[in-house]
Amino acid sequence: MNAKLRKQDVDGRVFNAVNVALLLLVTIIIVVPLWNVVISSFSSGRALAEGGFIFWPQELSLENYRAVFNDNNIYQAFFISVAKTVLGVATHVFFCAMVGYALSKKNLRGRKLYVAMGVITMFFSGGMIPTYLLIKSLGLLNSFWVYIIPALFSYYDVVILMNFFRNVPDSLEESAKMDGAGDWRIFLSIFIPLSMPVMATIALFNGVGQWNDFMTTKLYITDQALYPLQMMLYEIIVQSQTQAMQSTAGSAVIETTTKGVQLATIVITTMPIVVVYPLLQRYFISGMMLGAVKE
Amino acid sequence: MSKLNAWYGRKGAAFISAMLATALVVSGCSTGGKSADGKGKEVSLEGRYTPNAEEPAWKLDKKESTELTWYVNADWWNTDFGNDVVTKKIKKDLKINIKFITGDDTKLNTIFAGNDKPDLITIFDGNSSVAQKASTWALPLNDLAEKYDPYFNKAAAQDTMNWFKQADGKTYGYPNYSNTQADYESGNIPATTAFIIRKDVYEAVGKPPMKTQEEFKSAMSLIKSKFPNLLPFGFNSIGEGTGSLGDVLQDYLGVPLEDKEGKFYDRNLDADYLSWVKTLNEVYRAGNISDDSFADDNTAFEEKVKSGKYATIFLSGTPQQGGNLQIFMSANPGKEYIAVDGPQSTVGNAPTLNQSGISGWMISYITKDCKDPAKAIQIFTYLLSEEGQMLMNYGIEGETYQVNADKTVSFLPAIKELQLKDADKFKKEYRMGEFMFFGHDRYKALSQDAFLDSIKQMQEWGKGKLKPHFILENTNPAPGTPEARALSAINANWSTALVSMVRAKDEAAFNNTLESYKKFLTENNWSKIAEARSEKMKENKAKLGIK
Repeated sequence: MNAKLRKQDVDGRVFNAVNVALLLLVTIIIVVPLWNVVISSFSSGRALAEGGFIFWPQELSLENYRAVFNDNNIYQAFFISVAKTVLGVATHVFFCAMVGYALSKKNLRGRKLYVAMGVITMFFSGGMIPTYLLIKSLGLLNSFWVYIIPALFSYYDVVILMNFFRNVPDSLEESAKMDGAGDWRIFLSIFIPLSMPVMATIALFNGVGQWNDFMTTKLYITDQALYPLQMMLYEIIVQSQTQAMQSTAGSAVIETTTKGVQLATIVITTMPIVVVYPLLQRYFISGMMLGAVKE
Repeated sequence: MSKLNAWYGRKGAAFISAMLATALVVSGCSTGGKSADGKGKEVSLEGRYTPNAEEPAWKLDKKESTELTWYVNADWWNTDFGNDVVTKKIKKDLKINIKFITGDDTKLNTIFAGNDKPDLITIFDGNSSVAQKASTWALPLNDLAEKYDPYFNKAAAQDTMNWFKQADGKTYGYPNYSNTQADYESGNIPATTAFIIRKDVYEAVGKPPMKTQEEFKSAMSLIKSKFPNLLPFGFNSIGEGTGSLGDVLQDYLGVPLEDKEGKFYDRNLDADYLSWVKTLNEVYRAGNISDDSFADDNTAFEEKVKSGKYATIFLSGTPQQGGNLQIFMSANPGKEYIAVDGPQSTVGNAPTLNQSGISGWMISYITKDCKDPAKAIQIFTYLLSEEGQMLMNYGIEGETYQVNADKTVSFLPAIKELQLKDADKFKKEYRMGEFMFFGHDRYKALSQDAFLDSIKQMQEWGKGKLKPHFILENTNPAPGTPEARALSAINANWSTALVSMVRAKDEAAFNNTLESYKKFLTENNWSKIAEARSEKMKENKAKLGIK
């Protein structure tokens, strides 16, 4: 009996050791490139030119960051990024919650039709050019609202919310009704507070999406004052890919950005999301589980 | 059960065809719209000016101000206008304000789909479908010149206009850096390819010759043994192409442009060239080419040039690396890179270096949606004329440059110093040499300042080695055809095959790669592409008046 227990103990330890080793390895594989980017951004351009992999900053310098922050556009871009993320996420979550709430009610007339219509959008999209035409005729080209309005609705998020709302006991709603609460009151005072975890999850998904999105800008925005950080990053990176046209360019010279500045821009644009992520993560994990199992 | 399935199948098919029909009707409706009028806008010159063949229209035009939008199909284009010496002068002289929009092919597609084209469009690929269909969306420059600004014909090069002529006999777009036969013959355009070596290295190893394959190999080994910290041999970033090891090396070796019958010649499989690729492979196997060189992107390559990491470089685009070479030169006097005679043909061909051809680089169009085509053609004339060219390259006489006694041009000392010391400020406040929609190297030859000191010796080396490649321009199959798709697969395959050949671990691996590339060619319709190219080369010769 004792021997059996001890054997189990040893087995467990071996399992743990292997597990930890494997996971450590995976973590290293993920962390090292990120680390390299951060470290390189603090190194001088000359040191980076030496090439090869570096683990500690070579010739520690802030020149790359100085170059990035010298560009006044970056402050405006930062403001746009924050504004579109905050506003976009808040409206998106609220809007999807409203739709999800309505669709979770069995007595809603035409519910099946709405659900079917929603499901279709999950499988088919309008395509780039028709969407462009739509945005154009809505007058959203070169407008800040192009970041917000088309991003209001996502049926995927509605489904998550809908399933969550369905699991809220009917009796809660009934008792509220008995006390004289209307649909809005029930939605705002009971369902929303109850579904904070799932809303945080959606907010996180959507927030990362908003923060990282540059396609919207690329397609619909030409006014530089409306560029978010990611678009500036995109432009900087793209500059370094102009080599191909050289043989036809006569002696015209195109300026490119150095590697260090590129990396510094990457660090600056990624930093905010890295900071916010852990704060939302506890909701994120509980949110993923919620609504997954029906009891 | 199967009956039921069949029923569903039929019903499904009916449903789908109904959907398709609806889609057709809907899309059919939308194709009408704006593009149908076809002609573009006409503006009245009443109260503005009377066109005059002797004087550019911008001098006559009394219109007080015009606002135009200009799309440039490149994300890196500087969209500033009117804040630096060059564009401020353009703004004042032409009484215009230009709003630049930039983007890539995706954006270009949406602009065309959205049917709200800007006034002017600049693209980079004369072979693209957008350029091919220019007659459907752009205004013919010939007509605009006749109607609004006859002086344009004096400023534009006739050879270039002919080259860009479409099937209807009209020219829609005009390029920059379009070099004509006469430009090549004049010697005013500099070569941009060179085999360069660090001067200190060259002297330390006793200036060995590097023309033959044996000489080249032993020189590389010699460099390696004396300078173990340097990379003996470097070349342009390969990316998705061939860096400087493909057609650039072929030009350097003088691989023929066409076969004896004037038909398409597969230069990649030229025996002379391949023997040099084999030599490079031997250099690689001796450890004298770094593996990094194949993976480096352009930024990495540039930074290595800047810090002098390479002992020798087979360099394409010397002006583009001029700044980096200059940085190295200033910091390391006596070690600067110099051009020397590099790889030479084993069969006695003379080098046929390429430069920008007659197709040029950026091509600008005036669209049918242009608010004021008269003003737009004035911009073309202005920038193409001597006045505009001098402004673009050197700024304003007395303010930024002076004309010397020998008719050459030089920047004023303060400007030159600023250019060298604070390139960012120079770019922001002066911007000479950058607003290059219609730039031409001819005007660069006027000045000692047009090129950096670091590359002057390389240009001197290249004198007399340039040869027009016009007959090979725009000979790719039309975009969207199966041949075009096959060609892009072949090009991708060639890029990897070339790298694999240089990196082959032994001769057998080298030959295997070559064989499998050849096999890939036959499997991908190569003979048809070659035929189409021969056909296009024939058309090119007709346009150029070569028999």
